[in-house]
Amino acid sequence: MAQGDKVDAVIVGGGAAGILLAAKLGHGGKKVVVLEQGPAWQLSDLISSQIWSRRLKWGTPPVQLDGKNPIAHNFNTGSGFGGAALHHYANWPRLHPEDFRMKTQYGRGLDWPISYAELRPYYDRIQTEVGVSGDAKAEVWRPPGAPYPLPPLRTFRQAEVMTKGFAAIGQRTAPMPQAILSRPYKGRPACIYDGWCDAGCPIGALANPLVTYLPVAQKAGADFRAQSYVTRVLMSDKGDRALGVEYYDAQKQRQEQHADVVILASNAVQNPRLLLNSATDKHPDGIANSSGLVGRYFMVHFGGRVLGLFDEDLENHMGTTGNQLMCQESYAKDKHGGPFGSYTWQITQAFKPNDITGLVNARGNLFGDDLHAFIRQAAKGLAAIQALGEQLPDPDNRVTLGDKKDEYGLPLARVTHANDDNMLALWRYALDEGMRAMKGAGAKEAWTAPSPGLIHVMGGTVMGKSAKDSVCDSYGRTHDVHNLVLAGTGLNPTEGGVHPTFTMHALALRTSEHMLGNWRGYA
Amino acid sequence: MLPRRVVLKGAAIGALVFTVDGVDMVLTPREAKARDLPLQTLSEDEAASIESLGDVLLPGAKDAGIANYIDHQLSGAPDDCLLVARSVSIPPPYVNFYRAGLKGLDGASQAAYQKRFVALEPPQKIEFVKAFSAKPADGWEGPPSPFFYFVLRNDATDVVYGTVEGFEKLGVPYMPHITPERKW
Repeated sequence: MAQGDKVDAVIVGGGAAGILLAAKLGHGGKKVVVLEQGPAWQLSDLISSQIWSRRLKWGTPPVQLDGKNPIAHNFNTGSGFGGAALHHYANWPRLHPEDFRMKTQYGRGLDWPISYAELRPYYDRIQTEVGVSGDAKAEVWRPPGAPYPLPPLRTFRQAEVMTKGFAAIGQRTAPMPQAILSRPYKGRPACIYDGWCDAGCPIGALANPLVTYLPVAQKAGADFRAQSYVTRVLMSDKGDRALGVEYYDAQKQRQEQHADVVILASNAVQNPRLLLNSATDKHPDGIANSSGLVGRYFMVHFGGRVLGLFDEDLENHMGTTGNQLMCQESYAKDKHGGPFGSYTWQITQAFKPNDITGLVNARGNLFGDDLHAFIRQAAKGLAAIQALGEQLPDPDNRVTLGDKKDEYGLPLARVTHANDDNMLALWRYALDEGMRAMKGAGAKEAWTAPSPGLIHVMGGTVMGKSAKDSVCDSYGRTHDVHNLVLAGTGLNPTEGGVHPTFTMHALALRTSEHMLGNWRGYA
Repeated sequence: MLPRRVVLKGAAIGALVFTVDGVDMVLTPREAKARDLPLQTLSEDEAASIESLGDVLLPGAKDAGIANYIDHQLSGAPDDCLLVARSVSIPPPYVNFYRAGLKGLDGASQAAYQKRFVALEPPQKIEFVKAFSAKPADGWEGPPSPFFYFVLRNDATDVVYGTVEGFEKLGVPYMPHITPERKW
């Protein structure tokens, strides 16, 4: 279709949520255009190298990082087709029912406008569409749901050792459910356990969007435009309707793409930025912002990392970048003797020598010959576990517009973030538990990372029941503009102690079906 | 623009594409260093400081081409940059970070020893790095010294251990998904 033709839906952002929506809406007969600011990555671009993997991480426009504890933005986001999901680790546990009703049940945080039971069928369907490997019975903490379509992935010696460690402190482990194929599935091959997930999986065993929903979307006729940088949502004169978006194409020429429905799926930082940068005289504080909540309740997960050295060969270069095992014995939010919230133990990691999570950064204080000696030893004997823990939604953690501008004169996003006392107390609680597990596993040395890792990006455009307490409804439709829809992890009012990608897929599937079934209400 | 095939061939073996006498060549940073290829962005002084610090952080980094590697990456578009600086959200242009950090390094070295870092004796270098890696050093201006240490330490590890050759030194199978012969 020609660039200027009006379409049914324009989607901003070619990451996992945007591509899934394009596939479903396209399959449903809608004309869809996807505008992605980054490159049109192909599987052959996914080079097995930690150095080259950095091309998949966020680059420009930069994000201004502020606050007492600035987030690790670029590492946790992505640019180009597939977005962050192109380099994600594919750990796919589900949220628990209490994560959806935290305010009602505990008087803390926020409630979701939907329950786990409402989202459950979408989790079940997504895991079948995408292919998730795991052992539902072994996950004794797992909320109700269909068994996984594939058996769990293989484990290696590092996992055996850590199973013993958790058993020593009376805790059970289970295979981490992963969106990585343990067997060939729907024409995609099984994982070969070479630990290059972080650099992207060119064989397609890992469910990156290039092999899941992108081919479906393209077959359905969705028009994907790479290097297309969206600068604002175009609004009607009355300010009650989105007309489309303004963007700059690969030749840096200004374009407009008009559509009946505008979907922003550009991530938890850029979605608020776009809403704020689209301010008009009718919406001086940004569109869809009558609540004043656009950008607020931004969240990350904390990472509580525990490491140990062993004298034996743990086969720690084998497996997935993510984790072979999990443990949710401490998931209950109010059972930690003070600190509140959930966490999941991610157990093991396939190490590479270099990069952020590589051997080199397991002992940040070593340098010189000591660093050489450590890396040589760690290449066989290092084990790692990490508590992925919950941060409660705080309105002061937020995305605003910064004082610096992009090449088109628009303010950059500024993310202000601080770790709160509760999060730090939960982090310390988890580290103590992890140290006991590591010692129980027989590590000759065990230590913890000195500060919490700040992982994932969520919140900022939270869903809720009305504009009094949220930006959008449970389908992502903004309360203020009926044909403006948001997608991605920014919708999450709480985050639980689990990785967000599975939930994001389930929400996007639910949104797509509601849109197709109620198109007039959106368009 | 370089042919995609050439770029990817380099990527697969941990090499980069350098222009030598107007000809594009796939070289590892170590080979670029051995050939004494001219720098594009860094000054000779800046490169010498990076090599000196890199060799303290991880001996062998100088010969592995740390300065050529960083210089090469600083000379392209920010979205093509492969340095860890990108992953840790340093705003582009990344050369500003390195220049400010090197200025801080020499400023603090002058304050402590009345010499530039490259002129310190080996034990002094170790003592100085130990100090500024743990907490911001007196006389250091620019990015916090522990953060600069973190980034340069990762750069050094990239060139020493982040390549096929580096994996071999550790006895770790590289196991690339797609071998150069088959795909590019």
